[in-house]
Amino acid sequence: MRADARGTEAGATPSASASWSIRLDDVSVTYRNGTRALRGVSVDIAAGEMVSVVGLSGSGKSTLVRTINGLVPVTDGAVSVGPYAVTGLRGRRLRELRGHVGMIFQGFNLADRTDVYRNVLVGRFAHTPAYRTLVGWTTPRDRELALTALDSVGMLDKLWTRASALSGGQKQRVAIARALTQEPSVMLADEPVASLDPPTAHAVMGELRRINADRGLTVLVNIHLMDLARQYTTRMIGLRAGEVVYDGSAADATDADFEEIYGRPIQARDHLGSAS
Amino acid sequence: MTEPAERLRIPPKPTHRLRTALVVAAFAAFTIATCLPAIGGVELDFAAIAKNWQNGAEKVGQLLQPDLSFLPRTIGPMLETIQMAVLGAAVAAVVSVPLTLWAARPTNPEGVTRRIVRFLVNIVRAVPDLVYATILVAVVGVGALPGLLTLFLFDVGIVVKLVSEAIDSTDHPYMEAGRAAGGTQTQINRLTALPQTWPLFANQWLYALELNVRISAILGIVGAGGIGRLLDERRSFYAYDDVGVVILEILVVVIAIEAFSNFLRRRLV
Amino acid sequence: MSVPAAARSLGVRLPPRPSKLVPTITAIVVGAIVVLSTAGLSITWSDLLAIPGELLHYGRLMFESPDWDKLPRALTEVWRSISMAWLGAILCVVISVPLGMLAARGVGPAWLRYPLRGVFAVIRAVPEVIIALILLTVTGLTPFTGALALGIAGIGTQGKWVYETVESVQEGASEAVRAAGGTTADVARWALWPAALPTLASFALYRFEINIRTSAVLGLIGAGGIGSMLSNYTNYREWSTVGMLLIVVVAATMLMDAISGAIRRRIMEGATVRELGRIL
Repeated sequence: MRADARGTEAGATPSASASWSIRLDDVSVTYRNGTRALRGVSVDIAAGEMVSVVGLSGSGKSTLVRTINGLVPVTDGAVSVGPYAVTGLRGRRLRELRGHVGMIFQGFNLADRTDVYRNVLVGRFAHTPAYRTLVGWTTPRDRELALTALDSVGMLDKLWTRASALSGGQKQRVAIARALTQEPSVMLADEPVASLDPPTAHAVMGELRRINADRGLTVLVNIHLMDLARQYTTRMIGLRAGEVVYDGSAADATDADFEEIYGRPIQARDHLGSAS
Repeated sequence: MTEPAERLRIPPKPTHRLRTALVVAAFAAFTIATCLPAIGGVELDFAAIAKNWQNGAEKVGQLLQPDLSFLPRTIGPMLETIQMAVLGAAVAAVVSVPLTLWAARPTNPEGVTRRIVRFLVNIVRAVPDLVYATILVAVVGVGALPGLLTLFLFDVGIVVKLVSEAIDSTDHPYMEAGRAAGGTQTQINRLTALPQTWPLFANQWLYALELNVRISAILGIVGAGGIGRLLDERRSFYAYDDVGVVILEILVVVIAIEAFSNFLRRRLV
Repeated sequence: MSVPAAARSLGVRLPPRPSKLVPTITAIVVGAIVVLSTAGLSITWSDLLAIPGELLHYGRLMFESPDWDKLPRALTEVWRSISMAWLGAILCVVISVPLGMLAARGVGPAWLRYPLRGVFAVIRAVPEVIIALILLTVTGLTPFTGALALGIAGIGTQGKWVYETVESVQEGASEAVRAAGGTTADVARWALWPAALPTLASFALYRFEINIRTSAVLGLIGAGGIGSMLSNYTNYREWSTVGMLLIVVVAATMLMDAISGAIRRRIMEGATVRELGRIL
């Protein structure tokens, strides 16, 4: 496990937590309406890896990434993240685990009517007792983490801006800052660039790669675009109809591998295009 | 030349004939049932309208010629009406926030407390305002207090129902982020849901204020304070020109409150 | 302030905080109004403490043994109130929908819109009771008067809801029809009407729900229905009957609300399914 030194000087990345491994052991998820989203998926991700999960919509990517922080309960099998066994976690322990797992979403999931600062403070939820949130009381550490995280993604000058006034790329960066404020050991990204234009998408993917390189954080990215997966991640897991059909190096994945993952010939829309 | 219809496979248009027919039939049956006096329906007496419409027109005419010399006597009671309306709305606004958050599904996924709060609020809403006023006057006596309590209950009922329904029918994608970060529902509500729903609240509080002014004008008829008592007194003396002054005053105040609340609405959102 | 302190210790520069002047002034003004209202009311505030006790006492009088013997009569009166509410709602909707559409920006011309909105505002300001009292001179102290009063009085609020709905539905669809060369009538028929219809239907049912409550109020002044019964027995201080009547009123209103609410939800869900989007 790669551990990062506690950096307290200004400008240093204060990732005070070690990064964790992720493990799925024969995991199956069947939703209440009968949809079998995952079938016997087994995946072993070491700490500090940057992994992409590639597949078409409906392949089970969203479900897989959500089993890791327990947003989706597992029907069969076991999920573990670092020292936590996720399956069967409830209440306070589950929230504790989630505090160590940062997540960003395709729709950004920011509170639009609130400023960036308060949105980023959402990342401190797991580390704050409920009464303090009720009163609106933040500790100096909370504030430091929030400001540092925003600075590291270059959004500090938008601190007091309402989230709705930001562009898509800016919103996603704020979301990343929110996740970083948690001092996470794992970073999950569910289709983080699907709503962004090509240059912005490259910028955000670059941000995620930087986080992986600088902090040694384990990063798992859901993505359906081949070129982004190849360019920004080292390992790739291909999902098709809830099953793993590829698990190996991202750079070595051939077009034939992708056709296997998609279950159809490659089309133009599977490529993002270049950063300008 | 081939017909376009032969080449294009047009899917059949979905008709809901059976469903529409049933709806219309139910509507008609219900309406007919409401017109049967035997079971308690309303007897439609259009003949009376034809015969007596002049009476009504005459009274309306009198109303439209208000006797403005009556104005000074109305100021005190009108002020009381406005004060009751403002205070009732303000206290109800404070109480309505936690109740509303408890009553809406996104902010309270826990079913039991949500259903209990909804049920209690529905009971409170099911009693009409003047009924509260009548009974409260009998319980606490004549004056502004029963009126204030009536307005408070009425406002809480309306705000909680309308805002919780609005919360239920909008999406709250930011909540997933709050959950993923390990927050409790209380934390999510306090930091993100409250600011997001603030315009819904503010809107309904202002609506409650507008309603209050109109209602508190009547509450006086049963003795619950405000200008209603003066209104009823003048009517019983058939002094419809004085009644006209009172109505005019209510009209002015209501329009002023609406203008004020529209102004506030623009500022708040 | 704490955030600047944190920024200083980190050595980063913060952007300026947006001015909080206007919200602060608004809050102070609103607060002042509330305080003044409280001070001006002639209420002995100590009476508030006695209230829970009084309520408990009367609650026991009303609900310990409600007078179920009078239930059949109560039910008939309830149906009378519901009938008043229903017919009043029909009358109100039939008048307010066309008038409301004309009063909407983008449908009616300005010289028609403002007078119409003025009429709505006037009707809104006049309490239903007054309208009922005037109608009394025409149709007598009957439930029919009540129904007419409910119908006419509702036009004010209903008309406002209609033009507000039509205006909020305007943008995209209207633009599309006009761009294709449609007249105002075309816009109304093809863009506004289908989009606004579910919301208008929903509001119509809501008017019915409101009317049910108001019909009890009209009953209190003698138009008939459960309100009359309630008023009589409260005046006679026959609390066990009052208790029974309250239970009946609450049960009937909640039942009607539940049915009407379910129908309204179905209507709005249908609208979303037909991809007309959320209008409200």
